[in-house]
Amino acid sequence: MIKKFVKEALSGKIDIVAHALKCLEQAEKINQEYHYITEWADVETQAKKLAEQLKNGTAKGKLFGVMVTVKDGICVKGVETHASSAILKGYKPLFNSTVVQRCIDEGAIILGKTVQDEFGFGGFAVNVGKGFQKPLNPVDKKRATGGSSGGAAGAAALFDFPHIALGESTGGSIVNPAALCGVVGICPTYGRVSRYGLLDYSNSLDKIGPLAKTVEDAALGLEVISGHDSHDSTTSDQAVPGYTDVPGVVQGLRIGIVKEAFGETINNDVRKAVLEAVHKLEQHGARKIEISLPYGMTYGIPTYFLLSTAEASTNLAKYCGMRYGAEEQLTGVYNDYFARVRSNNFGDEAKRRILLGTFARMAGQRDAFYTKAAQVRTKIIEEYEQAFKQVDVLITPTVPMASPTFEEIKKLTPVQCYAIDQITVAPNLAGLPHMSVPCGKTGNLPIGMMIIAPHFNEQKIIQVANAWTHQ
Amino acid sequence: MDTPIVIGLEVHVQLKTQTKLFCSCPTFATEPNTSICPTCLGHPGSKPVINEKALEFGAKLSIALGCKIAPHIQFARKVYFYPDLVKNYQITQQDDPLGRDGQIVLDDGKVIRIERCHLEEDPGSLIREANAVLADYNRSGIPLCEIVTKPDMTSPAEAREFLKKLMNILGYLGIFDQDICIIKADANVSIKEKNYTRVEIKNITGFKEIERALNYEVERQKVQDVKLETRGWDDVKGITYSMRSKEEAADYGYIVEPDLPTFHIDTQWIKNVQSQIPELAHARAARWIKEWKIDPVDANVIATDIEVADLFEQIAKKVNPITASHWVRREVLRLMNDNKQTLKQTQFNSEGLTEVLELYEHKKITNKIAQNIIRELANKKFSPKAFVKENKLETVADEGALEVLCKKVITEQPKAVEDYKKGEEKSLMFLIGQVMKHTKGTASPQIVRELLISILK
Repeated sequence: MIKKFVKEALSGKIDIVAHALKCLEQAEKINQEYHYITEWADVETQAKKLAEQLKNGTAKGKLFGVMVTVKDGICVKGVETHASSAILKGYKPLFNSTVVQRCIDEGAIILGKTVQDEFGFGGFAVNVGKGFQKPLNPVDKKRATGGSSGGAAGAAALFDFPHIALGESTGGSIVNPAALCGVVGICPTYGRVSRYGLLDYSNSLDKIGPLAKTVEDAALGLEVISGHDSHDSTTSDQAVPGYTDVPGVVQGLRIGIVKEAFGETINNDVRKAVLEAVHKLEQHGARKIEISLPYGMTYGIPTYFLLSTAEASTNLAKYCGMRYGAEEQLTGVYNDYFARVRSNNFGDEAKRRILLGTFARMAGQRDAFYTKAAQVRTKIIEEYEQAFKQVDVLITPTVPMASPTFEEIKKLTPVQCYAIDQITVAPNLAGLPHMSVPCGKTGNLPIGMMIIAPHFNEQKIIQVANAWTHQ
Repeated sequence: MDTPIVIGLEVHVQLKTQTKLFCSCPTFATEPNTSICPTCLGHPGSKPVINEKALEFGAKLSIALGCKIAPHIQFARKVYFYPDLVKNYQITQQDDPLGRDGQIVLDDGKVIRIERCHLEEDPGSLIREANAVLADYNRSGIPLCEIVTKPDMTSPAEAREFLKKLMNILGYLGIFDQDICIIKADANVSIKEKNYTRVEIKNITGFKEIERALNYEVERQKVQDVKLETRGWDDVKGITYSMRSKEEAADYGYIVEPDLPTFHIDTQWIKNVQSQIPELAHARAARWIKEWKIDPVDANVIATDIEVADLFEQIAKKVNPITASHWVRREVLRLMNDNKQTLKQTQFNSEGLTEVLELYEHKKITNKIAQNIIRELANKKFSPKAFVKENKLETVADEGALEVLCKKVITEQPKAVEDYKKGEEKSLMFLIGQVMKHTKGTASPQIVRELLISILK
């Protein structure tokens, strides 16, 4: 869809300014109802620049004229960026994140920032910060979009124009909302895409990736944002292969079915839909092999919450109302002031995770929690390495169920909420590329299928996704 | 452990890099908050990128201190809230420091063991005014190397000597700028009389202050109750004061810095760094003493400053090394001290000094003339040979001409002659001086002396 549009736009057949304004108008209308956008960028100025390029013959780029929305926690120069937290109200970054810059360099128009769980702390996008509205599921407004990249997934589903949403995943925040909103989401290998300009949740886990309506569009987005970046020391210098020309052939491909991800805790319709999809892939020549991942599926959640909150509690230390963001009345010593700013502006889940993470890294607890979790993480990575000796990709449901209603979510304890991530945290801990593609429905609600591949094998997940969606 | 005093040091040295540890901001700035960027201000979304020069300088220091370089090094976050700390955590090293297990040997041969050497970023600085505290982040992210010793020092004087030796090594390595960069130390001190209850003193600047602060603290501990605590050093009042007790000690909640990869240090890199380390002062002085028979005190004094040591070696290759050492120690270093100048701030160079010492060695000029020329060489560059020729300063050794002069002085100074004949040696010196005066210092003093004695016999 996007490729065709870009070709037309570059040929000058489209009035790019009129198109952009029409997109903006439509997005604003959807936003009033569904609350996906927290800030709008200056669309008209960007579009006029592109029109100018068309006029003087310098127009180019893989995303020429394509609308890109950016998860609120990813910096866009001059556009308020708050990771949907009240503590960053008014904060305008001085620089573009690398992913945003790369999209702009390919001719994209930044449309705005998408709402999320505050700093990424949630699986339903209901934990938005004070003063933010939670996004509503595009299929049923009584239900959640999933999270934390909820605004991104909702926008990807409902914006009816060429559009890529940039999301971010720490423990499943791209594929989870993609599954619950019925769109495609790709979370790349850790180190494939630069995190420069991303407001850190958990630096050793955070990954930026695209969400879109189709596999092809998401793959194009990934191709644009991937690659080494001198601003992020954790990016890989491995060459980026083409992601948009991967044939959907699965003949002879070994697909691992993760046994634990089809157990009792998984909704029947979800289990059935994904197994049926695998069956179809078998009909196209793939081979199904059952795989067990006891470490990842049993210890994934506690390991993830210890490591991610330990890192998060240090990342959030900088938000103290002194140099940017929210401010409070200046009274008392600095400690009182910092505490007041943080108490008044962080949401409950942010506070919970700061406390949890601080506890996990305290001198007396560090070995038992933080260090132990890091060791378990290594075990989980090794477990996947073993599995990938037997299979080419792994397939699981993305999340154990379809989107719950807000009423249902309210009744859940924090630990029950964390269970939404039970399948996604393990590949996130291992830094493996994974993707959610729509895979049938339960009632009118979308179901997602997750495909996981070895490190830097993004083409493999795209290959299987192409085979599934084009069959 | 039964020494009366036990002291351990944590020394922070600013490394002389052009840019900061994790961003490309310059390390020098005049106006507050002008050398800053999103990274050293800790803005959301910014990421640290290691300055490899700082890593190299840190390794250089570690190796020079005899430390083993770790095969992989990692950075860590040390979390505490303070207005000068932009991220409210400091990027430092915890589990895998750059270097471990080194030492510095004091003059009496005593070994002070070094536990670890690691890199970390400096916080910003706070400026206290009457009604406000101002924050300046120019220092935020400046690279520091922290050197932690074992509690091996047994007197404040030893701590001072340790720091002095450390400064000397830093000067030799060219990784520390004494004019701009600051050396700061925290000291652990305890005394036997109080059961070695450990007190930490924070933020002592410079090696003179360390001895002062420790002397004060040792005396204080002798007369006051001592508890586990952290104290500050007030260099204006010259006292230490209580900051916090052990119960309030901070838990920094260290975690691995996840934005920086583990750095794998290969042996070739270590070899490259090692090859850049010059022969250090101690080894150099020992070589001069052994090979050139230089007086040990002179050798050690000259070796202290690498620039002076280099100058000395260049001269000593052309003239007698012992002569060279005398003149460098007694004239060059004395002039630098009197004028409070570093060698670079003077006009001294090996060509000029070698020329003047060659003239002296070959008895072409007198001691007095050589001294005068060296004084001039401190201020401007010129050729002593041409200068001596132009100003007719060659030593007058013509006995005929000098004899005439001696006789003239004898007739001019009957009183002195009389005194000399009565046995006053001093009067002879006076008469020699009079002859020297007539020749503007160019007469050979030995010849004048012999002539006067023989005439007055």
